[in-house]
Amino acid sequence: MGAYGFYIAIVLVYAAVDAMACLGLSIEFGVAGISNFGFIIFQSIGAYAAAVLSMPPASSSNGGFQKYVLGWHLPWPFPWIGAAIAGGLLAIPFVFIVGKRLRGDFAAVGLLVSAVLLNLLVTNYVPLLNGDAGISLVPAPFQSYWNPQSLGYQFAYGGVSLLLAALVYFVVNRVTESPYGRSLRAMRDNDIVADSLGKDLRMQRTSILILGGAIAGLSGAILVGFITLWAPGAWGYAETIVLFAAIIIGGAGNHKGAILGAILVPVGFEEITRYLPPVGNPELIPALQWVAIGLLIVLFLWFRPDGILPEKRRILSGNKNAPPPAPTKADDESDALIKIGNIDELNFRELLRLGEPVNDHRVILSTKGLTKSFNGVTVVSDVSIDILQGRLTGMIGPNGAGKSTTLAMLAGTLPSSGGQIFYEGNDITSLSSHKRAQAGLVRTFQLASEFKKLTVLENLVCAIPGQSGDTFFGSLRGKRMWGAEDRENIERAKEVLSGFGLSQYADAYAGGLSGGQRRLVEIMRALLAQPKVLLLDEPMAGVHPNLAHKIGNQLTKLCEGGMTIVMVEHELSIMDAFCDPVIVLAEGQVLAQGTMAELRQKEEVVEAYLVG
Amino acid sequence: MSSFGFGLITAAVLAIATVGFTMQFAVTNVLNLAYGSIMINSAFVTYYVNQHGVTPWVALIGGVATGAIASWLLNRFVYTPFQRRNLAPITVVIVSLGIDLMGTFGLQAIVGGGYVSFSQSQGHEYHILGMFLSGLQLIILGICAVVLVGIHWLLRYTRLGKAMRATSANKNLARNSGIKTQFIISTTWLISGALCGLAGTVFAMNAGVFEATSAQLYIVLLLSAMFLGGPGEPYGAMFGALTIGLSTEISAAYINPQYKEVIAFVVLLGMLTFRPFGIFGSEKTN
Repeated sequence: MGAYGFYIAIVLVYAAVDAMACLGLSIEFGVAGISNFGFIIFQSIGAYAAAVLSMPPASSSNGGFQKYVLGWHLPWPFPWIGAAIAGGLLAIPFVFIVGKRLRGDFAAVGLLVSAVLLNLLVTNYVPLLNGDAGISLVPAPFQSYWNPQSLGYQFAYGGVSLLLAALVYFVVNRVTESPYGRSLRAMRDNDIVADSLGKDLRMQRTSILILGGAIAGLSGAILVGFITLWAPGAWGYAETIVLFAAIIIGGAGNHKGAILGAILVPVGFEEITRYLPPVGNPELIPALQWVAIGLLIVLFLWFRPDGILPEKRRILSGNKNAPPPAPTKADDESDALIKIGNIDELNFRELLRLGEPVNDHRVILSTKGLTKSFNGVTVVSDVSIDILQGRLTGMIGPNGAGKSTTLAMLAGTLPSSGGQIFYEGNDITSLSSHKRAQAGLVRTFQLASEFKKLTVLENLVCAIPGQSGDTFFGSLRGKRMWGAEDRENIERAKEVLSGFGLSQYADAYAGGLSGGQRRLVEIMRALLAQPKVLLLDEPMAGVHPNLAHKIGNQLTKLCEGGMTIVMVEHELSIMDAFCDPVIVLAEGQVLAQGTMAELRQKEEVVEAYLVG
Repeated sequence: MSSFGFGLITAAVLAIATVGFTMQFAVTNVLNLAYGSIMINSAFVTYYVNQHGVTPWVALIGGVATGAIASWLLNRFVYTPFQRRNLAPITVVIVSLGIDLMGTFGLQAIVGGGYVSFSQSQGHEYHILGMFLSGLQLIILGICAVVLVGIHWLLRYTRLGKAMRATSANKNLARNSGIKTQFIISTTWLISGALCGLAGTVFAMNAGVFEATSAQLYIVLLLSAMFLGGPGEPYGAMFGALTIGLSTEISAAYINPQYKEVIAFVVLLGMLTFRPFGIFGSEKTN
């Protein structure tokens, strides 16, 4: 045993620490899609917090040779708890960067430079954490009762570390496999669409950044209690890239992959290079290590972007044995399948929990002087419209008329530059889009907007509002809390799916479907969000005409049942058949309004359409 | 006043670097975080030519060529293929970080960790408008001024420059208007890469001594200058570089010089939080 034993204990501790860090990054990046390029500072603040919480006051001991704050001399486990709290708290300021609707790569850069900035400050401001020299002589837990240099202690330390790593695995897995995890993955795949379905992106990102930060903080505490020193050199911003390399290689979004990556990259690299004979200049081997990390990242992203253990496809339909159908790109074939759907028989009122029909044709949604300009170019100008409850209102106009922009402003996807929007009597002009969605104002998108790496069924289920497992704490309470409800939601979604004739694609990734099929997924998803007012942006584009008319019939029925629908569409036959009234927009203004028959009599409408 | 002089040199070098960086972002929508590593590799090429007895002012042609070719290759054989796969923009940024590690530490593996400097004299010291500037610094300022005027002329008055602006504003529209966007993007990477190589060389000259990792944090200054003026805006980059360059050096006269870059960090984080489209910009269509 002897030397080998110590060596094994050391490797155990490192493996546990790196696995925890990778799990924290895996739920942030792989599940929630937050590119936290500053992840290492969360581990670091945990290490510093554990150090200064467990050390005696700086003035009283150590001959005063090092300076640091706090020095509370707390017994284990308080320094470790404090470390996790510190890591979680550090996440809060970053919510201002990642919580906004900021491009993912811009937010990532913000986190990266924050990491560099903090390192610079800690390095140069000595009174805080002893500057560049770092903190040393950090007490190991229980060191006054048990010699930290003994083999038994070291193995016990490794064992506790592994237990905590297992606990972290349990927690991140629980969150990931819950309805909340589904919402997180939806946000990762397309945040604007998730927002429009009522997901609170800021809340979701905050909770995951805090969870990941707390995990990283705890991992730092374990590390510093073992190596008893911590300095800025240990947490350069590039250390984050090592962790990214680990989860990219292991498989981002698959937590087993994160653990595998932790073992292969940070642990493996340290251990392999320990045995290399010294060659060349002293920087050669560390430099080549960095080159290898960079090369591995690029090669894996090219040849195996999902990593060694890719994220698993979640089979919700219960058909575990049925192989997933090869997603077809051929529209003819898929439309042939679509015709067998029993959409005419669907009882949406029951499926969507619409309740008793209220149909008073009052003004439910209206705008006053709504305006939008980009860089001084006015796209929508002074649009005032009233949308009547229980009606299927059409919106037509030539390309560039401002239809989609108006729809986006109604849903809150785009902020308006002027004017007001009223919904059910309230001014919602400055209400965020997820709150509008939660209030029943739901939109679809003109461009493909499915959550690609969610299955078709997951796409539908995640839109259902009010799921008890769709909050952070709900997810932690586990399946016993939300399992039965989730099964019921899945059944509802399956029924809608069979109505649209897409049952066999239930467990296929939505990103693999044909264009027409993806449109249908989007319509179904919007319906399952239980809207009061549904805003459809060219829902029939690419859908087979037969099916388009079946869908139109269902939409009419929904309106009779009390739903309000606004539909932007180019296909005039659809407008003729289903929409009343129809609003004509041209060059950003309301040109006319009325039934299609009335509009056809108006010269300016015909002209605008023909000229456009 | 002397800190103003330092600031002017820092700003001039930063302006060249940022214009190149922002042009790459404009036409390909990539935050090329490997930019700093190409800068320092270019500086080392200049250094090795210089070691063979060539004056640095001629040797820098080697550095400029290195920057141009390396950037072009990087775009052609790494970024473009990745972008064709329609991945999340963040993937390409992660790739650029990987390339940065390979570029910086690959260089360190070859040249070792020691500091080097060009064989060149600092020249006479001149006293201009209350600033003390060395001959070397004056030449750097002169080169930067000429290059920036050249870029202005290129963008404003040439067909190529107009095509570059059109491509950056809307690639599809530009292509449909008969602009060969692939060619324009390649040319932009050659030109911006040349700026990168030049910036790396004059950065190293201005620093006096340098080593393989000297430009590793330069990306922070680049990013803050770019975001201050608005991402993808060459004139904004010049404004941003001037502001960041002057304010870091002038602040160094009043606070601990070790913190002089803090102002750049604060500007960058502030811009990302409140105005990610730049101080003059407004959000773009789509």
